[in-house]
Amino acid sequence: MTLHDVAQELGARVLTGTDQDLTSEVTSVAAGDLMSDILARVGRADILVTGLTTSQAIRTASVAGIRAVVIVRGKPVNEQMIELAREEGVVLMQTDLKLFETAGRLWTRGLRTGTGPT
Amino acid sequence: MDAKYAKTQELLFELKVADVMRDRVITVHPEQTMTELRTTLRDHRISGTPVIENGELLGMITIADLIAFLVSGEPEARIRDKMTASPQALTSDQLLVHAIKQFDRTRFGRFPVVAPQSRQLVGILTKGLIIEGVLRAMERVLKEEEVRQYRASHIFEDLVAEYKEIYLTYEVIGRDFERAGTASTQMKRNLKRLGIHPDIIHRLAIASYEAEMNTVIYTDGGVMEFRIAPEEIVMRVRDHGPGIPDVEKALEPGYSTAPDWVRELGFGAGMGIPNIKKCADKMSIESTPGVGTILSVRIFTGKEMEKDHDAA
Repeated sequence: MTLHDVAQELGARVLTGTDQDLTSEVTSVAAGDLMSDILARVGRADILVTGLTTSQAIRTASVAGIRAVVIVRGKPVNEQMIELAREEGVVLMQTDLKLFETAGRLWTRGLRTGTGPT
Repeated sequence: MDAKYAKTQELLFELKVADVMRDRVITVHPEQTMTELRTTLRDHRISGTPVIENGELLGMITIADLIAFLVSGEPEARIRDKMTASPQALTSDQLLVHAIKQFDRTRFGRFPVVAPQSRQLVGILTKGLIIEGVLRAMERVLKEEEVRQYRASHIFEDLVAEYKEIYLTYEVIGRDFERAGTASTQMKRNLKRLGIHPDIIHRLAIASYEAEMNTVIYTDGGVMEFRIAPEEIVMRVRDHGPGIPDVEKALEPGYSTAPDWVRELGFGAGMGIPNIKKCADKMSIESTPGVGTILSVRIFTGKEMEKDHDAA
């Protein structure tokens, strides 16, 4: 599915990212609030689903090659984070759904953990 | 023409009519009536159309022809009787520059396009389509240039010397959480620019980021040094203290001395150093409590790359 489909599925507000960015296909997800866990996982991910609303979520995504970050629970995202996402070329979205439901919905749409060596 | 526009000319000379024309053409049949023509021109908002029979171009008929017919007061007429028969046409394999000359010479607004050596209609060409086509071609050329420029930055391949090494350093400020991670994201961009293998970049970026976060969270600040040498990349992080009392313990996954507020930043799970170790081909930590810590990470990029990492 595309990032556009993801935003629709989650009823998410897209905070950064061009229309073209939103057409990119995604297949794998990393979900969690601990960035060290995200970095420790084997395999690549296209999307990071997290409740962490600090710049570190964006930097983790950037470093790990993750293309989009979905902030859950409707948590407020500050200007700095949005600006950083723009600089790093990371698509940033915000959904009101909880992390569990977000992950569940993406799973039912066929997204998986993502395999492949680090 | 001027040598100033040499590149643009080159581009124009590469384009053929087929590259630029529209291949879905509204057409009419010679047996249709002028009333039907009027509807066609109006519905599609065009000012002229080729007349074809069995795919073959018989004539052109335009709004000017329609007006002349209406003014004449004739009750009805067939397109066959009012069209311009055997019209001038372009061929699809013609050079676009020649087509442009035709437009200039005749002042026609559009030309039907036929297949080479035949009268089969394959498309239509207007001035607007020429402009669009040229812009598209220019866009493509510029994009290809960009890609080529980036690929050319395999510095080690391009520079000639007995020994080549690149040395980059970053200062990391302790407890500066807003800026934490900037060295690593910048470093990642640098490595991409240098054409380093993406898997190497991935491992180095993660090791660097974890090390940088550790430096920001636990220390009074430090320096990150990166040496990109022909066969390996070495990252060395030196901080100004306070040092690690028990390095053995620090290597254990899950062991953490982080206060609670660090967990709110998404760190402090005790996974930092184990993550770094996983990414590195060789890692070492030396620490003197009260003084500081030196973390060293080596990632092999030469032929030893694949072999050694799996064994580690």
